[in-house]
Amino acid sequence: MKALKHRFSSGFFIILALALLIFGSNNTPLVQGARAHISDFFVPILDVMSRPVQALDDFVGWTQQLAIVFSENQRLKEENDHLKQAQIQASQLAIDNQRLKKLLNVGEGQVNIVAAARVVSDSESPFFKSVLINRGRRDGIEKGQAVINEDGIVGRIITGGQTSSRVLLATDINSRIPIKLASSGINMILEGDNSSYPKLGFLPIGEEIALGDLILTSGYGMVFPPDLPVGQVVAITEDGIRIKLSAKLYNLNYVSIVAYEIIHRPDPKKAE
Amino acid sequence: MKGPERKSERGFRAALPFISTLLLILLMQLPYRLSFLDDLLPFLPLAAVYYWCIFKPNLMPVWAVFLLGLLEDILSGGPLGMMALLLLLVRIFVLQQGRRFLEREFLFSWLVFLVVALIFGLATWAISSVYIRETQNFWNVLGQSMLTVAIFPGVVWLLRWLRQLLIADKG
Repeated sequence: MKALKHRFSSGFFIILALALLIFGSNNTPLVQGARAHISDFFVPILDVMSRPVQALDDFVGWTQQLAIVFSENQRLKEENDHLKQAQIQASQLAIDNQRLKKLLNVGEGQVNIVAAARVVSDSESPFFKSVLINRGRRDGIEKGQAVINEDGIVGRIITGGQTSSRVLLATDINSRIPIKLASSGINMILEGDNSSYPKLGFLPIGEEIALGDLILTSGYGMVFPPDLPVGQVVAITEDGIRIKLSAKLYNLNYVSIVAYEIIHRPDPKKAE
Repeated sequence: MKGPERKSERGFRAALPFISTLLLILLMQLPYRLSFLDDLLPFLPLAAVYYWCIFKPNLMPVWAVFLLGLLEDILSGGPLGMMALLLLLVRIFVLQQGRRFLEREFLFSWLVFLVVALIFGLATWAISSVYIRETQNFWNVLGQSMLTVAIFPGVVWLLRWLRQLLIADKG
C-alpha cells in the first residue's frame, strides 16, 4: 500500500514537472507573475548571503590594487594630462554640437536613470544568461528598460516583480541589441549566443571592419540610449564577428536601469 | 540502533536535508564566481539530492525534491520544471537501484554518481536545446558534470557532518 502510494506521488509530481516544462513557457503572464513573486521573496535572502562574499571579493581586489599603486599613479598622472587637453576640445565641440542641433531642431533623446540596483543572483546555467537585481516595479522599473553599468551596456529587463527584476544579459541567446560602428556609424545588431563573446550581425556587404573597432549603441529600437559603449571587435572569422563587451558580465556588482525617451519639442511652425 | 535515530528525525533536524539542499541552491545563485571557470558551476543540488536519497530518503520526500528543483528553475531563469523533473528522476533511480548498496561503499557510489551526473548534464543540454530551439555547446555541460563529480566528495563530507547531527541522540 505504501509502495503504491509512493509510486503514485512520484508519478504525479513527474507529470506535474513535465506539464510545467511543456506549458509553463516564460511568455505566459501567469508564469511570469509567479516567478516574479517567488523572486521577490528570495532576493532579500540572496542579498544578505552575497554580502560576505562581496566583502571578500572587495578585499582581494583591494590587495591587488595595493601592489600596483605606484605604477598606477604614474600612469594616471600621464593620462590626466592627456584628458585635460581632450576636455578642452570636447567642451568646444559640445557647444558647437548644441548650436547645430538647435538649428536643425533635432528631437533629442532624454535618458533617465530609473534606479541603481545590486546584482544578487546570477543564473549558473551555460544556456541562460540572466541576473536578478534587488529593484522592481516599486522603484519604477519596467519591462524592456536598458541596464548599464559604468563600463557599458549589460542587458535589459525581462521580468519585473515588486522588489526584484530579472535582467537578460547581452550574451543570452535571446538578446538582440541595435549597435553601430563608432568609426563609420554603420548600424548592425549585436546577437547573443550564450558564449562570452556575442556576435555582430548584418554587416552590409562591402563594408570593412577591423579588430579593435569600437562598438556603440545606435539608439534604434528605443531601448538603449545612443552612443553608450558596448565593446570592441576581438575576432573576425568565417563564423562571424565577435565582440568583447566592455562591461564585465561575469562579475557584476551594481548596475543602473535607464529609461530612454525622445522629447517631442513642439514644432515652432505649428505653434504659431 | 534505529530507535534513537528515528527519535532525532523530528522537528528542526528532520528538515536538515531540505534546508541544506535549499542553501546549496541559494549558494549557486550568488553572483560571484571564479573567473577561470568561466560560467561553469557544479550541479550542487544534484549532489545533495543524490546524497540524501541514499541516506535519508524519508527526509527527502518526492514533494521536497520537486519543490527544490522548481525553486532552482525559478531562481536561475531556466526552463520551468527542468530541474524538478531531473531531480525527481534521480530520486527514483537511487531508490530503484537499492540504496543499501550505494550506502556501503563510498567509491562505488561516487562511480555511480559519475554516470548520474553525466546523464543529468546530457539531459539539461537536450532540454535546454529544445527549449531555446537551437543546439547548444555540449562541452560546457560536460564541464559542469565533471566539476560536479570532482566536488562530490566535498559535498558528501559536508552533508555527512550534518547527518551526524541527525544521528547524535541528544534526547
